[in-house]
Amino acid sequence: MSKREKITRCTLGELMIYQIALTIEDGILAFHGFGSPLVQIALHLAKRSHAPNLILVAGATYGINPKPPFLTPTTNDFAMNRDAECHLSIEELFDLAASGRLGRMFLSGLQIDRWGNMNVTRLGDDQRLTLKLPGGGGGCNLSADADRITIWTAAHRTLPDDKGRRRYRLAEHCDFITSVGHRTAQGLPRSAMTYRGRGPDCIVTDLGVFGFNQDGHAQLRATYPDTTLELITENTGFAFPVAENLKTAALPEPEMIEFIRFFDPLKIHQRELSAEDRTRFFDLKAV
Amino acid sequence: MPIYPETDKRCSLISLVSHVRTGDCIAIGGGLSWREPMAALRELIRQGVKDLKLVGSAHGIDVDLLCGAGCVAISAESYVGFEQDFGMALNYRRACETGVVKVEDNCCYTMVQQLRAAIQGLPFMPVRSVQGTDFIKLHPEFKTMVCPFTGETLVLVPALKPDIALLHVHYADSQGNLHIDGPPVADILFAKAAAKVIVTAEQIISPEELAQLGVTIPYFYVTALSEAPYGAHPTACYPRYAYDRDHTATYYQAAKKGADYFQENYLKPFVQDCPDQASYLTMVGGEAKLSRLAQWRESQEQWQRLYE
Repeated sequence: MSKREKITRCTLGELMIYQIALTIEDGILAFHGFGSPLVQIALHLAKRSHAPNLILVAGATYGINPKPPFLTPTTNDFAMNRDAECHLSIEELFDLAASGRLGRMFLSGLQIDRWGNMNVTRLGDDQRLTLKLPGGGGGCNLSADADRITIWTAAHRTLPDDKGRRRYRLAEHCDFITSVGHRTAQGLPRSAMTYRGRGPDCIVTDLGVFGFNQDGHAQLRATYPDTTLELITENTGFAFPVAENLKTAALPEPEMIEFIRFFDPLKIHQRELSAEDRTRFFDLKAV
Repeated sequence: MPIYPETDKRCSLISLVSHVRTGDCIAIGGGLSWREPMAALRELIRQGVKDLKLVGSAHGIDVDLLCGAGCVAISAESYVGFEQDFGMALNYRRACETGVVKVEDNCCYTMVQQLRAAIQGLPFMPVRSVQGTDFIKLHPEFKTMVCPFTGETLVLVPALKPDIALLHVHYADSQGNLHIDGPPVADILFAKAAAKVIVTAEQIISPEELAQLGVTIPYFYVTALSEAPYGAHPTACYPRYAYDRDHTATYYQAAKKGADYFQENYLKPFVQDCPDQASYLTMVGGEAKLSRLAQWRESQEQWQRLYE
């Protein structure tokens, strides 16, 4: 890292990466899937900061603890797998989850409901498909099997269309349940299912951070320096409880920001953000 | 399940692909932008095979191309897209949304368990997951049962035996022993579960050289094979060549302009009007392009430049 400029502010992407990294415990086995550069960077950041004993399984290549020279635009690239200590097969990775060894997985959705159920399969009802989404990969299985799930989305902010309607990302209802949270499609509590894992414990968004309360309902835990409870309420398709000690989320340290910029020189992670969100900066001294 | 003891499985790309019949269930190897059997898929389009059912884990341009060419009736993939690079797979979306392709999305581990059942000669395998999701509605063939040992409710997923596993590998010998460098993704499972395994290889080498490299998939699973250098282009086949992001952008922009535009400006010039892999390689830029894709290993700057 040769940059000598003093880092005085971070971007929204860097803040989100840091918030995702904070959900990763040291000493666990964690896996990032594909199509998720914010998460890929967060895992490498966690391993280089508070979680040196993290067992990092790379998405798509199933390499263990690789040291990528730079983040590539697609996940199954040799660069993402460089210097991996060993490799799993597809069945071994999923077996690790099924047997209770996968500590954390990261999932997102085009619709995320209050219980952390998510849809990445299709919009529309059983009779009429209006939008085919790419699909969930192994998310359906891992949402049940991984011990914990970090949910993230960079599209919490939903602007109204010309008729004033919003297509909420954090939505009242999922048209299709691809991955499970704390209540099933039939309304059963997660405890009624024979899943291995305990379900999602946070949602990191472009507007703030949610946890889940005792009932398994999303609960706002933190805003960002430029967001408020009102703004988050306006952009969320369901009513939600707020933590008693609602905070402003912590910003990453300058060394962490330096690492992110070094690791992602092509700024691949910004492709997850809207054009407007790419212009959001946070002054490190202000918080 | 059949075995293939023949000592010489080599054939032309045309003969190789003629193993695929209309209506077949195909498992395509590779994953995302890595080692897709693209040369064979282009030949499959030229041969006019229709009504395919596709099964797989995480895929992109391979499935999208077949959808754009009207070869697919059912998709049971778990992901079809271009990740954060280009986003949604547009031909695939169109085909699903117009009802041309029936959506039977699956999930990676569910498919792994289904393949394992086939490989082990069992009728099904259980999973804990899937229950509580809408995949149960999409797959009425999945059943639930109470485990007689623990009393837990589990989901049973039936054996999956694809008619064809279609793979692209780095090296093969003439008998069909295969060597894959880097992640095999689901290729090994596909090869063991499918009735027929048809393979393109970057290079066919001697059995001694192949043994030195190591056998990823033994010959007796393999039905037929054909040498197809750069057979994964525009996806990667590291260490020989990186992902061709430029060509993928050309592809994506053509798909974005609609089905007719895609037909005239991608399928016609790059698939239908190229009778073989050699003419395709000339069409996408020839030697200059191919050597550029091999330069990834010279320096990190060169590697990054491919992706800018």
